[in-house]
Amino acid sequence: MSPLDILMIVIRVAFSAFIPLCFIAVCVWMERRGAGYFQDRSGPNRANIFGFRAAGLVQNLADAAKLIFKEDVISGHIKHKFYFVLAPLIVFFTALVSFAVVPFADTLVLGGKNYIMQGIPIDIGILWFLALAGFSVYGIILAGWSSTNKFGVLGGLRSAAQVISYEIPMGLALISLLIVYGTVNLNEIAQFQGKLLFGFIPMWGAILQPLSMVIFIVAAFAETNRTPFDLAEGESELVAGFHVEYSAMKFAIFFMGEYVAMFVSSSIIVTLFFGGYQVPFLATATLVNHAKPVAFLLMVALPVVMHYFTGWIRRSNVSHYPRENDPRVFEANIYIKCFWGLVIILELLLLAILFGASGGDAIHIFVVLLQVCTFLLKVTMMIFVFIWVRWTLPRFRYDQLQKLGWQMLLPLALLNIFITSAFVVALS
Amino acid sequence: MSATVKIIDRKGSSLQERFYLIEIFKGMATTFGHFFRNLLDNRKLYVRHYPEVQPEIPVRWRGRHRLTTHADGTVKCVACFMCQTNCPANCILIEAGERYDGKTEKMPVKFKIDLLECIYCGYCVEACPLDAIRMDTGIFSVTDNNRESFVVGLEQLLTTPGAFSEEEYKKGGA
Repeated sequence: MSPLDILMIVIRVAFSAFIPLCFIAVCVWMERRGAGYFQDRSGPNRANIFGFRAAGLVQNLADAAKLIFKEDVISGHIKHKFYFVLAPLIVFFTALVSFAVVPFADTLVLGGKNYIMQGIPIDIGILWFLALAGFSVYGIILAGWSSTNKFGVLGGLRSAAQVISYEIPMGLALISLLIVYGTVNLNEIAQFQGKLLFGFIPMWGAILQPLSMVIFIVAAFAETNRTPFDLAEGESELVAGFHVEYSAMKFAIFFMGEYVAMFVSSSIIVTLFFGGYQVPFLATATLVNHAKPVAFLLMVALPVVMHYFTGWIRRSNVSHYPRENDPRVFEANIYIKCFWGLVIILELLLLAILFGASGGDAIHIFVVLLQVCTFLLKVTMMIFVFIWVRWTLPRFRYDQLQKLGWQMLLPLALLNIFITSAFVVALS
Repeated sequence: MSATVKIIDRKGSSLQERFYLIEIFKGMATTFGHFFRNLLDNRKLYVRHYPEVQPEIPVRWRGRHRLTTHADGTVKCVACFMCQTNCPANCILIEAGERYDGKTEKMPVKFKIDLLECIYCGYCVEACPLDAIRMDTGIFSVTDNNRESFVVGLEQLLTTPGAFSEEEYKKGGA
């Protein structure tokens, strides 16, 4: 094993472990700011470090500091302390580990060797996700039960009832998808979606299997315990449901687990239905062959996008009341300088690609980085959909979710399997 | 006389509504409209940046109390106990004493209002026959660190100025 092999393993494992963790901060920020803007409020805009609020991201640091330094209470009435502590760990760990099979870029070719771009190099792909997603519900049920609290037990019960109503449609929606793709390996699925349908439409799962997409997304909302299916938590009915007895960092682990689960679900949805890491219309081979024109286009596009972004920062980051020597204008100027500095660095890198040797390792690395960015952009958009739905829909009742799962989604998923199989058999 | 009955159609039974997804997308379009408008220009948020921008207090607002004075700065109150008797929260405590400056016979020696007990109903202002107590200071935020400092005495009640002019106050209907 050469040093390069070891480096690539470290990079891929670090990426799949730390990117979900980094995205917790982004998700929480998007959630709070998004919630504010959806409801015509401003969201977190006070916490700052020397006057720098980073559009509200500093609030996350304040929250984290608060949760770390709070007293970690395990009340005396809790008999099974081991399970009580284990439950948040299960939720967080299963959410984090299920990202390990999601490819964030196409296989990297360096010096004639292939380096796979996912945390764990196994072929079972989507089955791994299904297994771990099913397991994470145990954490919630265990938390509800070991809390020895009526609200907690009710939350756990609801979660148990929820899991049997969404897991089956979710699995069946996947079957029709797997019939189309013919593989469970997520990297192969993403490669399949790089092709074009009739020569001009990207062959994404969303276009080949729209019904399956709707069912899977609905099930994914239920799986991550997000509104409209957050009845295990149900703060207006069950106080906080399964995590009512949890405080400080144990609560924070649940909280972070929810956001990691949201990130992982988004990345699975993106990989299955929205082309994964594929840049639309540009499959990996096309990208490698046409790296220079793409780099040139990016060089032109980046300053233009940055110009409008600068204008937006200037407009948004001002005090909304008369104030002498507005410190927020000063703050905005610093941000703008930082972003332009970033753009200049990127431009220099792109210039190096443009004047470097074609077909070399640099081109392959450039393509992989481009795909990573595309993947993260798509996942961020999917997370936004999660937040968007949360602030639009009210919570489903316990029986309504089961009715939806068993009477609507299950027959639809079965119908979808029949239609898909008929098509696949007729076309092959 | 028969009651007028208005029959309201129950929503949610048409085919389009029962299909559910279309209605969800309509709702999502509405919320996205709000989000996008605020994202483009956050001056359109329905937000008052509170500690910096204070709300406008109308004349009839019942804020913290004060005791009014004569033109020469002496207390108007004659310690008739009307406000204390009328107070539903029992937050006023008056101790009367003799008055020697010839204006009246009695005056308060102690006049205490417990602001934690007070429910800001304004009955004391209505009960006062001499317009000696008013709630026109415009102070709506009463905060402190300990309970004792919420009991305001005669000195503090007399020195707190009113927030409005006499004409404005009279026009306010008090």
